[in-house]
Amino acid sequence: MHMELAKTRAESPPTVGAVEVVGLDKAYGKNMVLRDVNLEMPEGEVLSIIGPSGAGKSTFLRCLNYLEVPTAGTITIGNTTVDAGARPSRASLDHLRRVTGMVFQSFNLFPHLTVLENISLPQIKVLKRSRDEAHEISRNLLSRVGLDAKSGEHPSRLSGGQQQRIAIARALALSPKVMLFDEPTSALDPELGLEVLAVMRDLADEGMTMIVVTHEMNFARDVSDRVMVMADGGVLEVGPSDQIMTQPSHERTRKFLRAVLDR
Amino acid sequence: MTFFDQWITWLPQLSPGLTVSLSLTGLCLVFGMPFGLVLALMIEGKIVPLRIVALLFVEIGRGAPALVLLYLLYFGFPEGGIVLSAFTTAVISLSWTTGAYSSELFRAGLAAVPRGQREAATTSGLTGWPGFRYIILPQALRISTPPLASLAVTIFQTTSLAFVIAVPELMSKAYELGSYTFEYLGVFVLTSILYGAITVAALALVRLGERRLSRHL
Repeated sequence: MHMELAKTRAESPPTVGAVEVVGLDKAYGKNMVLRDVNLEMPEGEVLSIIGPSGAGKSTFLRCLNYLEVPTAGTITIGNTTVDAGARPSRASLDHLRRVTGMVFQSFNLFPHLTVLENISLPQIKVLKRSRDEAHEISRNLLSRVGLDAKSGEHPSRLSGGQQQRIAIARALALSPKVMLFDEPTSALDPELGLEVLAVMRDLADEGMTMIVVTHEMNFARDVSDRVMVMADGGVLEVGPSDQIMTQPSHERTRKFLRAVLDR
Repeated sequence: MTFFDQWITWLPQLSPGLTVSLSLTGLCLVFGMPFGLVLALMIEGKIVPLRIVALLFVEIGRGAPALVLLYLLYFGFPEGGIVLSAFTTAVISLSWTTGAYSSELFRAGLAAVPRGQREAATTSGLTGWPGFRYIILPQALRISTPPLASLAVTIFQTTSLAFVIAVPELMSKAYELGSYTFEYLGVFVLTSILYGAITVAALALVRLGERRLSRHL
């Protein structure tokens, strides 16, 4: 799909830091749902987060753009650093969200707007692009996700897979430094999931930095550079995808992988 | 003289009243609904004094029967040195009632917008006013429109209460007509048909609009 746009990934590991998370905690009252999560990612890396449900994968992802407010720790994305202990300013949160693009499990397209408006409105209101410029960028993004023919439709007329591809285009329209995916295919039929995964694969090939919470083990193995395994609010292990998927060092990881791969 | 002939001679005498009723309704909606939206936003907002003021307006507007509120303002304004026509007093009083009831419907609409929409707006950079104005409010209004339209019909019927403070609306014209024809029953049957016809027609329009609005949801 759209291979003409896909550049081959750089062979040598990139060196610029894109994401750095230090000592991230999140508690609901006395209930610690995230405990001392640390992460360092170079630019252009694709990281998959796997693990049993209730592990804190989505919560961790949602802390990165402050949809969930962490209790402690610092998050650095690009040149924006937010310290959870210091009550971050509204401007720094806006900036954190500006440099991250978010794709939700349930798509969350704006139902009252057409596909073109869904992708254009944030550009016009947030980046102050002109209507014409925004529409042109939106049309380019739509053809990148293979949906140029749907620009005038409302989301309710589209399949889940199409909606999710548009959600990806909407996030890309703000030129984020990092794309966050929260189980992007979990609400989709396997077949529709494939078209979303193909778009994500293209994006990875183009060098986008991506963090993907997923249950798609093939994607984790084949597309991502590294895999992070979470359980009970903490990180069990992080490592190159091949190693984690074939020779994990934790028994807990082995048990989890057996359970999902044997299905 | 048959039934119908009688009605046809009465209609021209009732129609100025109907015009007053309809314009009273129109004005109450024009002022009351935006007032209701503002009240809803004040209640949902974070500024405590504004929230208290808004709650006061809503609870009085819903707590006091529309008739009692009419009397309160009609006799209260002159006490405070404010002299207004009966019609203006009715507009203010019924707008208050409209605002109080509609604010609850606006709040229900706002609460019914899925959380994912706020999150998607936030992550798209549409925080604060733009997110509210372009993402949340349009969806909330669509959800609130059918019950708001039903409220509008109820308000039309409620305008008949303005009769008690001598606003020359449909009800008062009917009473007038009854008092010199002594055909009270016939006059009020015709009056109720007029109220009923407009109500039924308006509700049919509401149903039509409801289907249109839910197209994309």
